Amino acid sequence: MSNPFSYIFSCLFVLLAHSTMLFNVYFNGSYTDEHQVFVIAAAVIGLDIVYFFLMLFFRQHTYNVDFMLILILNMSNIFQSCFGAVEFDHRHYITSLAALLASRVGYHVCRNHKWIQKQKVFIWIGIGLLAAVIFAFTGSRSMWITFEKFSIQPSEFMKILLILACATSITEQQNKHTVLGFSIVWENVILFFIAAGICLLQWWCRDLGSIPTFMAIYAAGFLLRICYPKAKFSRKTLFIAAGAVLLAGLVALHFAPDYVRARVFVNIWDDTEGDGFQQSRALIAIAEGGWFGKGPGKGALSGVFAHDSDIVFASVCEEWGLLFALMSVLMILILLSAPLFNPPRSYYHGTMAAGVCAAFTAQMALNIFGSCNLIPFTGVTIPFISTGGSSMAASGFMAGMLIAAQSPEFHKPGKKKTTKSKPGSSTKTAAGRSAKTASKSGTRSKTKKKPASSGRRAAV
Amino acid sequence: MEYYSPLMLCVITVAALDICALVLIIAAYREKSSGRKRWDRISSSMELVEQGYTYQLGCDEILIGRHASADIRLSDMSVSRYHAMLTVADGVWTISDLGSKSGVYVNGVRIKKKTLHENDTITIGSRQLVLRKRRNARDE
Repeated sequence: MSNPFSYIFSCLFVLLAHSTMLFNVYFNGSYTDEHQVFVIAAAVIGLDIVYFFLMLFFRQHTYNVDFMLILILNMSNIFQSCFGAVEFDHRHYITSLAALLASRVGYHVCRNHKWIQKQKVFIWIGIGLLAAVIFAFTGSRSMWITFEKFSIQPSEFMKILLILACATSITEQQNKHTVLGFSIVWENVILFFIAAGICLLQWWCRDLGSIPTFMAIYAAGFLLRICYPKAKFSRKTLFIAAGAVLLAGLVALHFAPDYVRARVFVNIWDDTEGDGFQQSRALIAIAEGGWFGKGPGKGALSGVFAHDSDIVFASVCEEWGLLFALMSVLMILILLSAPLFNPPRSYYHGTMAAGVCAAFTAQMALNIFGSCNLIPFTGVTIPFISTGGSSMAASGFMAGMLIAAQSPEFHKPGKKKTTKSKPGSSTKTAAGRSAKTASKSGTRSKTKKKPASSGRRAAV
Repeated sequence: MEYYSPLMLCVITVAALDICALVLIIAAYREKSSGRKRWDRISSSMELVEQGYTYQLGCDEILIGRHASADIRLSDMSVSRYHAMLTVADGVWTISDLGSKSGVYVNGVRIKKKTLHENDTITIGSRQLVLRKRRNARDE
């Protein structure tokens, strides 16, 4: 732990935030059995303390994403345990643990860009296999694969693979090939067909809510390719691409199933018992909650289908108030702003962080604006706040990607990690010592005459 | 019920979350400096110097060229728009020629790809750059 004061203060204030929420549940909540409040408190504070202890063994460079992650996950545990009545939601708690575990897996898998870029073909194969699973086991019947006691949504894991496909092919922009007079990069062509294939598959599965998320991930990867030096995109190309996306949207809307078009053009207040049922109840709940909410466990929205996933923002607003719900969203945005504090040091990590930010932002926007009837309602979850095992595990893995972008590994695959440089290099003696004398330089700057230029990676 | 009001509890909860967010942001900002230190370790505190200009090597892939999007922009017609790429791994910097017209020379020898050492002279077009350890790192 490089900065013990930061660690101690972060631990204390995360505990303070959770403790005040638990006090609010105890004094202001609706419960019949006091024991349930103590169970929630023990589970939340216990998980905080255990994770803080485990963090001491994490060999990372920064820990701010980990602190934000545990803060949001335990906030979510308290929210989910209070919807309708205060009762410990052990199912959501287990998925939170899965999200934390997934974040560690994500960190270890994604931190070394030189290693993972060699696994690019396996990522493409993984996308193909997952698409085959979706095609064979879910299809247009359901988005879920149901086992005995649980079900998984495979499309959630497709987001991870698409982000990795975007990130691992970013450095291939140098390898241009001339085909029929056009200069093309094969990885870009493959990535386009992968993204288009995933969107078509989601369309066929009737999981239209997730299409904007996949498009946002691809758009982030596409924009960073424009920034990449060898990709000579002009404004004309950008306008053509934007026009193509708009045209595709209009065509998709024209050929969309009736229920989709009905949802786009529905007036929820004319049909409060039909297509507008969830949104109208959600808006009423937000209004009833006001700034400070009715109190934990006192919400009426818990009787509405998907109150803890698709319209979870309205449920939080009703019980905890609009102010607290907005603060929860702000916490996720702070988590996503980690690359601004510590800019990624490679194209791969920059693209990966941008993909995660795009996916989370799109999901939050779809959920919150959909609940508030500002856009058509979709069944998309808010990362970490909504319930759902697949969503939590995938979001956890993506948080691990953000951690990896903050604490990247720049060693060659197969080489033992060491703080000293290679023997034979004349730079070896100061490799360790130089850490003490770091200058205030950014990613790139000219220290004399010319002003410093902004690094590309800082713009993620 | 006499000792507290629900509104007060809600305000305290929101305030605690606000303060926690602020502390975490400050902690993240403080971690920024340790991020630079770690990068110095990875990059061996190297920099490129050219007749009074100093270019910091702040990421693991650095494009040298004439194009505006290059990391190190050399506004000289003898330099290709995308001339050479510097990469680092295990504290060792490597330079690669990106198919430039005038080529890349290290210590006077034309190369396609070469590992660099301290005080190596890189010739790109008519420009000469020297890879050296940063001044404050050398003073240690």
